[in-house]
Amino acid sequence: MKFKNIFIHWRAVLIVAEVTIKHQMIDGFILFTIIVQPILVATLALFMLKDTAQNAAMFVVVGSGLTGLWSSLLFISGNSINVERWQGTLETLVGMPTPFEVVVFGKNLANVIQSLLSMTGAYLLASIFFGYSLYMDQPLLFVISLFLSVFAFVSFGLTIAPIFVMYREVQQWQNAMEFPVYILAGFLFPILLLPGWTTPISYLLPPYWAAVALHGTSTANAPIQQTLFAWGMMLVFSMIDLFIASRLFKVMLHKARVDAVLDVQ
Amino acid sequence: MKTIASNLRIFWQGTLLSYIALFGWLRPVTYLATKIIGPLMQMLFFTFLGTFATGSENAQFYVIGNAVQIAALSGIYGVTMSVGGERWAGTLVYLFGTPANRMMMFFGRAFMHIIDGALGVVIAFAWGLLLLGLDLSRTNLPALGLTIIVTTISTCGLGLLMGCLSLVTANVGFVNNTVYFLLLIFSGANVKLSILPAWMQATSSVLPLTRGIASARALIAGAGIQEILPLLAQELGIGLVYGLLGYFLFKWVEVSAKQRGTLETI
Repeated sequence: MKFKNIFIHWRAVLIVAEVTIKHQMIDGFILFTIIVQPILVATLALFMLKDTAQNAAMFVVVGSGLTGLWSSLLFISGNSINVERWQGTLETLVGMPTPFEVVVFGKNLANVIQSLLSMTGAYLLASIFFGYSLYMDQPLLFVISLFLSVFAFVSFGLTIAPIFVMYREVQQWQNAMEFPVYILAGFLFPILLLPGWTTPISYLLPPYWAAVALHGTSTANAPIQQTLFAWGMMLVFSMIDLFIASRLFKVMLHKARVDAVLDVQ
Repeated sequence: MKTIASNLRIFWQGTLLSYIALFGWLRPVTYLATKIIGPLMQMLFFTFLGTFATGSENAQFYVIGNAVQIAALSGIYGVTMSVGGERWAGTLVYLFGTPANRMMMFFGRAFMHIIDGALGVVIAFAWGLLLLGLDLSRTNLPALGLTIIVTTISTCGLGLLMGCLSLVTANVGFVNNTVYFLLLIFSGANVKLSILPAWMQATSSVLPLTRGIASARALIAGAGIQEILPLLAQELGIGLVYGLLGYFLFKWVEVSAKQRGTLETI
């Protein structure tokens, strides 16, 4: 697998992303994951955190949006290869001239971008239904953080999807993996509340650095050094994830061809 | 006498087979992930969120609320899939083709989930004791056990109604997930009902779990069984109302689907 393919086949990436979004916008489970669940989490968090800080509402908007991003990554991007297998289209996708990783990258890009709706939904909820006047401390830095977060999430998703295909015993834990990342990445409360031994685990999670950058630039008025460090960590983890994903895709496709199990469910 | 024995047999067979069919995929590791570790993580998340919001001295409020709320995992998802799964498995035609007593057939779908759901709540309380500092020293444990069973029954009542909805809509996953998360807000598991707007409090009062969670909190704070019996009676009543509504919807779906030839439509 060569990731320069993603740049060479950028047109295919965009078409796959467009088709994926059109396809998924009528799926009840996906609409729940990217819109309804984050809005319900935001509602709950707004009731719970409303008296904690001056800019708590914006903290909740960003945090609940991140829960939507992670849930989408886990359940939708995580199954982005498996779903083709279930639909019987995996063999065709693997067999066509466009590299398979380009297709999966496009799908993951669509998933992550559409999950930004979760943040928009939470924003509308907080401002319209709860009447908060929301403001952002560092809007420009927030936008850059958002772009880097999307890249980090897409890259992370590329490692999860082939793992779920090759190791079904790992996928059995899929439902149980949703809340641990909400906790360890500090989406809605600081990880300082957690036992100290969990901190290194948080540091290994790209969603944690996304939360540091997005919360820092939206509500915490974080020093630029902290934001830059979080951006750097997201880029480092993205590179590592892309490298791991390249190996995983190679192994997965080789194994599928040798064992002839591409469409075996 | 023969009719009663026959109905009991149908009830038990429906109970057992629907549960086995639903969990045909089940392996110990899947059960561990879905019913033991998953609920623990949900409890941890909301307990940390709650203590961040209101202080660590209030942790017990969130631990109890979320432990009892685990009943909805079996009550909503399990029961719904047991009823709605007949349609997806293509067995609804055979089910409605039999002369079996519909009430036995219908309520039998929930029985195992009451046991499984109550066990889930007990496991959640065990997590609370082991990891989250839950203090049961002043608790009337048999009364807490009764509360758990009653709350699970009432949640399964709502599940039976949801299961019938799954016979008339293809988006059952969407509906189930939404109801499960709405219960997290409206049941008082994570937010004191007194701070909710009036319309939300009114909605809470007609939902299962609300009184069950309140009863569990009262018992753990040292209340006696006499104090929570009215709450439990209301909780049970609400569950039965939902179950009966589900039963009537089930009957209507049968008649309507037979008339319109849509039994196998998915």
